[in-house]
Amino acid sequence: MRTSIGVLVLSAVLLPAPARAQGEGGMQFTAGGTAAQQIVHSHVDPANDRFSGLVLGAEGGLVSNHFVVRLRYGEGRVNPQSGSTAAARDVVEGEALVGLRATPWLTLWVGPSARAYTTADGDQRWLVWSGRVTGRGTLLPGRMQTFVELWGTFSGNVGDPPLKASGRGANGGLELRLGESSSFWGRLGYRIESTHAEGLRETVESLTLSVMYGLPQ
Amino acid sequence: MNRLLAAGLTVSALLVPLTARAQSTSALLDQGVRAYSVREYDGGAWLLRRALAVEGSLGLGPTDAARALIYLTAIEVARNQRDSALAAARRLVVLDPRYRPDERTFPPQVIAVYQEARRSAPAVSIRANGDTAIRPGAEAFVVRLGASTTPEVTASVNGTDGRIVRMLYTGTIRDTIEVRWNGLDASGNAPPDGRYAILVTPTARERRNSGGGDSWTLRLPLEVARPAVDTTPLPAAPPDSLFRPERGDTRGAMHALVPGVAAGLAIVVLPNLVASGERASSARLIVGGTVAIAGVAAFLSHHPGQRLPENTQYNRNLRENWRRNVAEISRRNADRLRQGKMIIRPGAPALVTETP
Repeated sequence: MRTSIGVLVLSAVLLPAPARAQGEGGMQFTAGGTAAQQIVHSHVDPANDRFSGLVLGAEGGLVSNHFVVRLRYGEGRVNPQSGSTAAARDVVEGEALVGLRATPWLTLWVGPSARAYTTADGDQRWLVWSGRVTGRGTLLPGRMQTFVELWGTFSGNVGDPPLKASGRGANGGLELRLGESSSFWGRLGYRIESTHAEGLRETVESLTLSVMYGLPQ
Repeated sequence: MNRLLAAGLTVSALLVPLTARAQSTSALLDQGVRAYSVREYDGGAWLLRRALAVEGSLGLGPTDAARALIYLTAIEVARNQRDSALAAARRLVVLDPRYRPDERTFPPQVIAVYQEARRSAPAVSIRANGDTAIRPGAEAFVVRLGASTTPEVTASVNGTDGRIVRMLYTGTIRDTIEVRWNGLDASGNAPPDGRYAILVTPTARERRNSGGGDSWTLRLPLEVARPAVDTTPLPAAPPDSLFRPERGDTRGAMHALVPGVAAGLAIVVLPNLVASGERASSARLIVGGTVAIAGVAAFLSHHPGQRLPENTQYNRNLRENWRRNVAEISRRNADRLRQGKMIIRPGAPALVTETP
């Protein structure tokens, strides 16, 4: 948790840098912090457990006319529902994606994403390579927009020795400018990811609230 | 021999209308003087009048104009045209009150006519320093009015239609005074290029005091020209395609509604496709519902007839930016024009007298 707070503080400190870079050329930066309430459905045959907890994180983006880069990192702790015998998990997750802006409203992405958590039996790491497509729609120009993102894996693995993993996910929400001509945006999002391997399935739902500097792409 | 020369001059005089434009005024003057010397008075008078008629930069300078006028006076005396001789002599007196004809060159009758003109002409004169370039409003074109008495006069710049462009002076001339014109009209604007004149006339009181005698007008023709100044063309008004609709229409409303509702539905439905068999939480309903409601709100804010304040403001900014640009460029152009030089070319002054 301390690391999470450190990441948030760091991103807040670094905000002035992207602020200076905005508008100096065709390249733009976005940066922000995210708080996510996660619900994890974990299936390890034959057991089914459900966890929930808060994950804090940061994200940043690099945006040009045609290409986009997105980095996301978060960590937190999810606790089992009352009555469960499962142990709480410390969660770390992240992704690094490169995107092509096919049209102003459609972006195609590719890149790795990972999720790891620690249990009493040891660490479990999910690493998948995915292709994604994001569509955006404008509700009020310059003030409010929506987005929906879908993804599926090309390849992936989990555990040691590694098991072949696959999965898919979706993400959607609403972005709202915080003020008439502010550079800050707020985002309300819902994300669901489901990855599975032999005898394992992890489904993670996240209700996210984010504050970002720069126009989200 | 004289007859031969006279015939040549006559022929050349007949040809002058064809070539006058290409011929310099000083050449016309020389031919007129030669015509006088060989007693070809008719051709000489024509040539000299032709030379004196040219105004502006192509016209005779003050010295040549004085020479032309004294020879014209002499020719008219020789032709027994006393009134014409007196008129030419008066013009000479106005042009240069200090002019004295050479008694060795001209016969006593010519000297006598000139002296009579001096006595009868109003004792006022006007002189300018030749072609002058000024910055309108910042510099001045100067003429000097002289008088041997102390007449009360008005001096003004007038257009060719007689309209007063700018009043320059009203008052008494004591010996000499300088009258200045800053190149602007009465409203402070530079008048267009063209021909103007400085007119000096006695005031009504002066005419009464002089016993209602001859009224006169002293006229100094001016040619005003301004070299072209590079100015920036004004920007065109923004085309209609750049303006946003200030009231909602069906198309705009649907553009706002569809993404919101579609995204909201997708958020609600997609978990079933992504994680089938999993019982998704109500978080998707919260987010999906919020997005759909935002879409409906956006639709209502764009519905037909609804004012769109942000578009109104955008259009207002677009117009104001354009107006500001036009005003700024107009101001710069005006500065450039103001700083541009105005060239004023004075011609030969003339005196017009009217007998009541």
